[in-house]
Amino acid sequence: MTKGSHVPPGGGTGVTPVAAARPNKRPPNRFLLPLLLPAVLLLALLSIYPLGWLIYMSFNAVGLAPGAPNDYVGGDNWARLIRDPQYWDSWLILAKYSAVCMILEVGLGTVLAVLLNKAKNEKLLITILLMPMMMAPVVAGMLWQYLYNGTFGWYYWVLRSLGLLDGGTILGSPELALWAIVAVDVWEWTPLVALIVLSGLKLVPQDQMEASWMDGAGPVRSFFQVALPSIKSSLLIAILLRFMDNIRIIDHFIALTGGGPANSTKLLPLYLYEQSFSFFELGYGSSIALTLLLVTILLGKLVVASFEEKEPSRRTKAEEPLT
Amino acid sequence: MTTTLIPLDDQEVVTAPAVDSRDQVVRGRGKRWTALAVTLFLGIYVVWTLVPFYIMFTTAFKADSSSFTLPAEGDWGGALRKLLIFEPTTENFTALFTQADFGRYMRNSVLAALGSAIISVVFGTTAAYAISRGRFKGRSDLYFWIISTRMAPVVAVTVPLYAIFKNLGLLGTVPGLILAYTVFNLPFSIWILKGFFDSVPYDIEEAYMVDGHSRFQALRKILPLVVPGLAAVVVLCVLLAWNDFIFAAVMGGETAKTLPVATQGLKSASGIEWGQIMAAGMVTVAPMLLLGIVIRKYMVQGLTMGAVKQ
Repeated sequence: MTKGSHVPPGGGTGVTPVAAARPNKRPPNRFLLPLLLPAVLLLALLSIYPLGWLIYMSFNAVGLAPGAPNDYVGGDNWARLIRDPQYWDSWLILAKYSAVCMILEVGLGTVLAVLLNKAKNEKLLITILLMPMMMAPVVAGMLWQYLYNGTFGWYYWVLRSLGLLDGGTILGSPELALWAIVAVDVWEWTPLVALIVLSGLKLVPQDQMEASWMDGAGPVRSFFQVALPSIKSSLLIAILLRFMDNIRIIDHFIALTGGGPANSTKLLPLYLYEQSFSFFELGYGSSIALTLLLVTILLGKLVVASFEEKEPSRRTKAEEPLT
Repeated sequence: MTTTLIPLDDQEVVTAPAVDSRDQVVRGRGKRWTALAVTLFLGIYVVWTLVPFYIMFTTAFKADSSSFTLPAEGDWGGALRKLLIFEPTTENFTALFTQADFGRYMRNSVLAALGSAIISVVFGTTAAYAISRGRFKGRSDLYFWIISTRMAPVVAVTVPLYAIFKNLGLLGTVPGLILAYTVFNLPFSIWILKGFFDSVPYDIEEAYMVDGHSRFQALRKILPLVVPGLAAVVVLCVLLAWNDFIFAAVMGGETAKTLPVATQGLKSASGIEWGQIMAAGMVTVAPMLLLGIVIRKYMVQGLTMGAVKQ
């Protein structure tokens, strides 16, 4: 969607001046409604109706037994949220975890993309890089739990043999556990960042790169001067998508630590999961969920805006490399 | 000029041997070192990516407890031997399908993934087409709402859906899972397909409709042009549903257990049978790996939410 494609309200038929100026004339809208409606209704049923429930539940103590009534508790869940130190700690862990993942994945992913762009067997390499992304995150979590295991784990053995690990296990240490999960995330998702950045690099006009090289700029300077401005929007998309997935998907945590040791890996979505489905505090869980949703929607706004920013440049610059 | 994806320095190395001038020799040597560093970096990265797969694969074929023990710390030679040489057995896989009920879990996974993929692609196609072609008030708000649904945290969605599904008796059923996956798959499908419809010129349908065909027939007419998009969507919907854990764990329960939940479930049994868990992981991962390799192109596009068009 380009920004220029917005037609003023009412300007929907094919003969208005605005539409006539566009290369593609548009059909009358009424024929489109039957096509749009089924999906919108289904989605409303699966998202707006649950959202209503979520808000309702956040003001109730939700009954658990089938047919059990809900007790209206006013703002109790919300007051509890503000006073709950674990809630704020969990936000902090989420922020810390996301920040470190992002720095590593974006740094490593960009380097990978630059190298892939020049590699001879690019296709084979991309296929290999795709492999971790195909793995169910919870299975990846269990695989790495095995690798970190203090009795059978090969990565544990390697770290010990290199003298990098003193006593204790990796996942049993409150200092190490979070970083161990960061490694899993980096393993599974750095290739995603690399692929997005690679797509941006493909759009960098080759003659500009050449000109920069002719001017005597080294590869590093050419990268910062010529390539980086062009891949800025790709980088932004990669960062936002990864950040959102860090909030969305907690399977690694469930498989590897379940939040322990000593709550050191209990990031907010996991805390929400625990409150809701281990303690069945669905009312309190709903309050937490709503705050999480709010942040996600704000992030979503940013993502959509950055996608829109990328579109036009793709159309003008991309034509050559993509055909 | 045409786009040269051939690396610039390679060309120079080939075309200009660079023996005459001194600084060119130095530059050429520097390039060789650079090339070596690049190969080394990529090589290490490939190893880092593949080692977990190798260990998963080999462990799945180990059942004898002695093959699990690690060598003494620092005994690298012993480690290599242990990694490469062992007695493979299919015991773990047999156990999954005889002692545990992995046949049923696999069926649940297939049904849930395909079911939601089909619903999402059918409704997604019509909606994406309407959003791509329509010019109505609130269009971009509608589009944003659809996309933001895709981005909602899985757990946050699970909380109200759990309460609703409980009332409707959908907990522990495959149709319940299909509906739950549609929460994410349908918006995803609309997002990707809208991009594809945007790139189809309107003239084709217009000419067709002038001939007296209805809008729906016109949509069917241009459908072949967006087949790559449809393929990408189906594959990615299947992948997302197949790999999901939270929905299936919370709402599938015992009766609609899927492969990832069953794999994780092996852990809570008395003592951890790593061989069996890795075998279960293989059963879960192998179909998706195959899918990913066969249709790599669409995978890349879908995983990057359409940010990468190949």
